[in-house]
Amino acid sequence: MSTILDVPKSRINLSMLGAYIGKPVCFVGRVEKVHPTGKMFTVVDGERQSVCVELNDPVEEELSGIVEVIGIVSNKGALMATTFSMLRDEKGIPFDLELYNEALKVIHDFPQHYPFVVSSSV
Amino acid sequence: MTVRQTQGAIESLFNDVPVRNPVSQVMTADATPGHEEVASSTTISNEIPGPSGNNTSSCAISPMKFSPMKDTIKEDSLKRFGTKFTPISQLNQYLSDWTIRVRVTHKTEIRNWSNSNGEGKVFSFDVIDKSGEIKITAFNSQVDTFFSLVEPNEVYLISKASLKLANKQFATINNDYEITLCGNSCVLACRGRDVPSTRYRFVPISELEDKDPDVIIDVIAVCQEAGDLAQITTKAGKQLTKRELRLIDSSGKMVTLALWGEQAQTFNAPCHPVVAIKGARLSTFGGRSLTAFHSSILMVNPEIPEAFALRSWYNQEAHAYNFHSLSEFRSKAGEFTTNWKTLSDVETQQLGHGEKADYFNCVATVVFARKKNCLYQSCPTTSCHKKVHQQPNGRFHCDKCGKDYSGFKYRFILCVNLADFGDNTWATCFQDTAENLLGLTAEELGGLRDTDEDAFNQVFRKVYFSTHVFRNRIKLEIFNDECRVKVTVLEVLPLDHRQHSKNLLDRIRTLAQKN
Repeated sequence: MSTILDVPKSRINLSMLGAYIGKPVCFVGRVEKVHPTGKMFTVVDGERQSVCVELNDPVEEELSGIVEVIGIVSNKGALMATTFSMLRDEKGIPFDLELYNEALKVIHDFPQHYPFVVSSSV
Repeated sequence: MTVRQTQGAIESLFNDVPVRNPVSQVMTADATPGHEEVASSTTISNEIPGPSGNNTSSCAISPMKFSPMKDTIKEDSLKRFGTKFTPISQLNQYLSDWTIRVRVTHKTEIRNWSNSNGEGKVFSFDVIDKSGEIKITAFNSQVDTFFSLVEPNEVYLISKASLKLANKQFATINNDYEITLCGNSCVLACRGRDVPSTRYRFVPISELEDKDPDVIIDVIAVCQEAGDLAQITTKAGKQLTKRELRLIDSSGKMVTLALWGEQAQTFNAPCHPVVAIKGARLSTFGGRSLTAFHSSILMVNPEIPEAFALRSWYNQEAHAYNFHSLSEFRSKAGEFTTNWKTLSDVETQQLGHGEKADYFNCVATVVFARKKNCLYQSCPTTSCHKKVHQQPNGRFHCDKCGKDYSGFKYRFILCVNLADFGDNTWATCFQDTAENLLGLTAEELGGLRDTDEDAFNQVFRKVYFSTHVFRNRIKLEIFNDECRVKVTVLEVLPLDHRQHSKNLLDRIRTLAQKN
């Protein structure tokens, strides 16, 4: 499913999940629990709400810290992940999830300044 | 008249147990002068026994389920305690057995400590009555007993506590004494509409100049501007957060108020709020300035007449004033009202084109540094930085000192190009800022230049594409008929991304509110 990576994805937190059902989104949160099968894990966002992330293939490595998940929101309110990347706590400056959440709110409160458009690069 | 109750009565009041046996209370009339007669308008006044000798009444406390920890004492029970209370202003160590009737104006959180003498906990609260104010402190087990009982703005009868001389160093209340609660202290909630609440004694800003330093005062003013939250490291190495507010009032003067710790962090009041501070200390730091204590009471837009008056003064007249400041402003990055600009603002806002130089802070990346001619040979004398010229005899001549020297010292004159998302600009870093940016002294770099070309280049490679906070001075200068803005870097500071992000978010929200 490489097509999802070419399409613009909104950055959301969980309070916006309902508005993006069936749409591709980018979600950043902290890993909470990993299901024994490795095909599902829960993630918490900056507002302390949690969501289930479902994968096609079981995760191979140790999941912890902050993850950025790209996927589609299912109509059950879970995230069907296409891909994800981990931002490890040990590397670089610790990620401030609450601050990220504040920035997210700004992006959504002022769409006129942060337009959600695809600009073609020349 | 002093009120004396038997120990049993007190204990029964504190136990959550209905009292079944009648308890006799002895009320003795003392002709002790200076005790306040409670006004008859209060709810507990009716049964003032006459001054004619002893008045013994044995009254049963009715066997109701009585929990004074949580309930307000019933009126009729209060009447039995008698009505003479000591005004705060008349408390002294020679009084035995006093009772005060006061309102709590301020209550601190519980603070724990642990040092070589052991551990402990403490909390304190300030109280007020018609005559004055006093601070009350409770330690260790008294914290457990009284912390949940005492609520701000409620009125209490307090007795059987110990009075001692106040520790003026930490005092924000003007009283020579302070009270400490002990094991058998009595704190009873009661009604007291006539007991005043927080009393402010506001001083106009213009009068601060005449006051002695270190006095504790109250000020009410409009916050013209609030600085960013800054991290300060004290000489002892402690980390503190600080925020400076710029206060103005109708006296036409301006003063800075420093908030610390939690007060600094939680202060968030855009749109020029009225700020009232009670118990701030006047200091001579930077002329005259105010600093808040942990125990100072800060109120934003309080609903008091002085605040309303200030608000209407500000809306109508303040624009015409030219406020003279009592405090010196050191516009260091992250300290006071940092003037944040982007590099594109330099052009669009014509910074530096005015009569005086402009000072601004920006977040920028070093994209180039001129390696050639980044050092010059300077006079070796400590305070003279003039360029020296090499003489045919190998000595170095300084025009300013008028002398020849055998050597010189290297000094920086580093030209860099700074860029951000919008624009770029050339800027000059002199000795201190260049040493800070490159991470080595001029002498060291000079040595490398002469000996190790690779290491010399490496110094510059390291700094390319590094992002910092730059505090700059910009001024339009005429040089050989040519007009150019010259940017001088006054300070290079590390970029704290989180603090910067928070700063940007605050500014976005403030701008949004203005619209």
